Amino acid sequence: MSGSAMLEVRDLSKHFGNLRAVQGVSMTVAHGELRAIIGPNGAGKTTFFNMISGFFPPTQGEILLDGQAITRASVTERVGMGMARTFQITEIFPELSVRENLRIAVEAQAGMMRRFWASRSEAAAVAAETDRLLAQTGLTPSADRLVGELSHGDQRAAEIAMALALKPRLLLLDEPTAGMGEHETYQVASLIRRLHKQSNYTIVLIEHDMRVVFNLADRITVLEQGAMLADGTPGEIAANPAVQAAYLGSAE
Amino acid sequence: MLQVIFFNVTNGLIIGAFYVLLALGLALILNLSNVINFAHGNFLALGGYFAFAITPVLGYWGALIVAPLLTAALGFVVERLLISRVYSRDPVYSLLLTFGLAFVIQDVCRYTWGPNGLPLGIPDALSQPLSPELFFITWYRIFMVAIVIVAVAGLFLFLRYSRVGVRIRAGTLDLDTVSVLGVNVRLLRTFNFSIGCLMAGLAGVLAAGQIGLNPNMGDDLLMPSFIAIIVGGVGSLTGTLFGGLLIGLAGAITTVFYPSASEAVIYIIMAVVLLLRPRGLMGEEGMLT
Amino acid sequence: MSGHATEAPPVAAAAAGGLPRRLAGLAVLWLVLATAPLWMPLIGGYDALATRVLVLGLVAMSFNIVLGFTGQMSFGHAAYFGLGAYGAGLTLKFIAASTPLALLFGTLLGGVLGTLFGLLIVRRRGVYFAMVTIAFGQVCFYVAYKWNDLTGGYDGLRGFQRAPLHLGLATIDIAASSRVFYYFVLVIFALAVGAMALVLRSPFGRTLLAIRENERRARFLGIPVERHIWLAFSVSCFFAALAGSLYALLNNFADPLALHYTLSGEIVIMTVMGGMRAFWGPLLGAAVFVVLQDYVSSMTENWMSIIGIIFMLVVLFFPRGLLGFMQRRDAR
Repeated sequence: MSGSAMLEVRDLSKHFGNLRAVQGVSMTVAHGELRAIIGPNGAGKTTFFNMISGFFPPTQGEILLDGQAITRASVTERVGMGMARTFQITEIFPELSVRENLRIAVEAQAGMMRRFWASRSEAAAVAAETDRLLAQTGLTPSADRLVGELSHGDQRAAEIAMALALKPRLLLLDEPTAGMGEHETYQVASLIRRLHKQSNYTIVLIEHDMRVVFNLADRITVLEQGAMLADGTPGEIAANPAVQAAYLGSAE
Repeated sequence: MLQVIFFNVTNGLIIGAFYVLLALGLALILNLSNVINFAHGNFLALGGYFAFAITPVLGYWGALIVAPLLTAALGFVVERLLISRVYSRDPVYSLLLTFGLAFVIQDVCRYTWGPNGLPLGIPDALSQPLSPELFFITWYRIFMVAIVIVAVAGLFLFLRYSRVGVRIRAGTLDLDTVSVLGVNVRLLRTFNFSIGCLMAGLAGVLAAGQIGLNPNMGDDLLMPSFIAIIVGGVGSLTGTLFGGLLIGLAGAITTVFYPSASEAVIYIIMAVVLLLRPRGLMGEEGMLT
Repeated sequence: MSGHATEAPPVAAAAAGGLPRRLAGLAVLWLVLATAPLWMPLIGGYDALATRVLVLGLVAMSFNIVLGFTGQMSFGHAAYFGLGAYGAGLTLKFIAASTPLALLFGTLLGGVLGTLFGLLIVRRRGVYFAMVTIAFGQVCFYVAYKWNDLTGGYDGLRGFQRAPLHLGLATIDIAASSRVFYYFVLVIFALAVGAMALVLRSPFGRTLLAIRENERRARFLGIPVERHIWLAFSVSCFFAALAGSLYALLNNFADPLALHYTLSGEIVIMTVMGGMRAFWGPLLGAAVFVVLQDYVSSMTENWMSIIGIIFMLVVLFFPRGLLGFMQRRDAR
């Protein structure tokens, strides 16, 4: 492991007028770690996520990606530095095929997006990388279908595949199993496990499904009312009385 | 010289008042329903023609009240039958719909009342000048401005204090939430559209008394009304109000010094505002994405 | 902003047709265009009407780069078309009797001004994008209307003629024969459309689809959305201005109505009528609209009502357009 953490958040706050959505949260995510962020509704998880991914700037605090300050960097700059994210409501290109979705992402990563032509070898390289991502996320069978017509779980897989196309150093997943049935939740959770265990991605995710969280996460950060309540391994979190009182007890 | 400036400032206020009436209606519809009503100028013309048709029966004062109401009623029907069908679609469709509607209304006016200008009679008392010294200002001009002030104040009070008005404002901010709260959004939009048409119809009656009637009388006012909205800031009715007055006055004052640029100045103001303050003078702050 | 897709048809059917069918379709299309002067008279047309179809088809296809492919609603494309027309006309009248030079200057005038306006426009979205583009379009109309000395004002710019083409040894007299001019326009049209297809099928072109489909996802793929919308707008304006230049050569006349938002609206309806998700849709829409308009305006004084009703019928009952409709049926 290198010296600096993959992601370091220092004393991050976001105020909307009088509302203190996030208040002084710090977090350090190591290389190759899978970190889950949990908390009851309105705990500030999504606001916290949006600051990390560059949706809006924090009111106060610092964000470092692999040691580099990115607190005020634009979305485009963050993507260029190796950050990719998915959204609670799947954000894909619904009327294009799965293959086209991935191809656009691959071309964006390859820096070809302002090109009016591509040589034969470049096109072949893009196609090969697209095929690899399709296989990695289990989407090869539906590659030529419109992504908007796929099942919820496959759409999520496509969105994750697009994020992977960016060759991210840090992958942010906002409620990857939100609104999914039993089977689809299992499908997406296994994909995330593979990405983490086999491909060694550093992943930060927000998740409501506690089985998913406790199965996947190396460490868990618990937010409540915008502040950090606890931070530890799944075992520590499960045993933490404050967490039980504030969250687990009331939620299940 | 002073008299010329005074004359043009009053003139500018009157023109600005028309822009405001038309632009406020446009902005209401734009803010709540995300529709650019290209036919808005034609609703103005219809208001004028309705007054023309009613005056022989109910007299001027009757027409002043009934013609805008008729315009609003027509707006209600048009929204129900046509425009409400395309809300769920890409906004290009509502634009094309109102665009086609503008063609049809204009042609119907031409067919029914003829292509040439018609006068709308106003009461004698109103056509007198204020005084021998102020011979260039008739009472009618004062009357128009007064009516516009009453109408605009009425609209703002309505939006501020009435139940429906509050719902319209809330819907402008977040339509989904309003609909979850059990408000009949479909009806709200229809009603809102017809309020917009009411304002246009009123502007039509007033304008007809000043410049007479012709089938495309609204066209010249439509574009400045767009610009009033852009300059004032999309989403802000107060902005639209000031935008309309600003460009009306700017145009009129330019007339004093450099008549041929009187219309150009409107566009120049728009360009400057877009360059320096892309959201308009009082426009809402937006998200990053 | 991803809520715009509700009514739009899936386009997979276009690809589902397969390569041989696509090639056959293209062959038929070009055959029809190449023989237009022969069969146009059969449906009451004439050479100049066929040329008009090509010219308005070209501007509608240019416009569709912004509407159909980038998903942004410009409503002022007549401005860049009209600027092209004035640019070409002024070149012929005041600079040199050279058709190529007229095309070049016309295209540059509309394209460069469109690119500059684009800078002020690209941060707007949806109906606000439409509103600002309309307003800028009217600026151009207004200038042409008022600048009497240069543009001829309300009466339009007259007193120029397209010049014969001198190609080294041979001279092609596009000035005298409307049929020769049709084929000249067809060649330019083919080159322009080929260039457009290259742009749209390039990696850059795919970023435009990405922006249309889902702006947020595009941004989180690292695509600088505003800059790409601006580039698309600019490319579109250059092609629209080229079409406008051809329009001036066709009529030997440029009038302010070529800049008016009424024409902008007609360009939009042609595009939607033909099918905005199909590359060739706008051409088909232009053909139908131009022929219909020619026919209707010679039949009745109330052609405005008819055109207006066509607008409304297309919107209410035919929103996918002709090609979108056919693709939809294919897919079943």
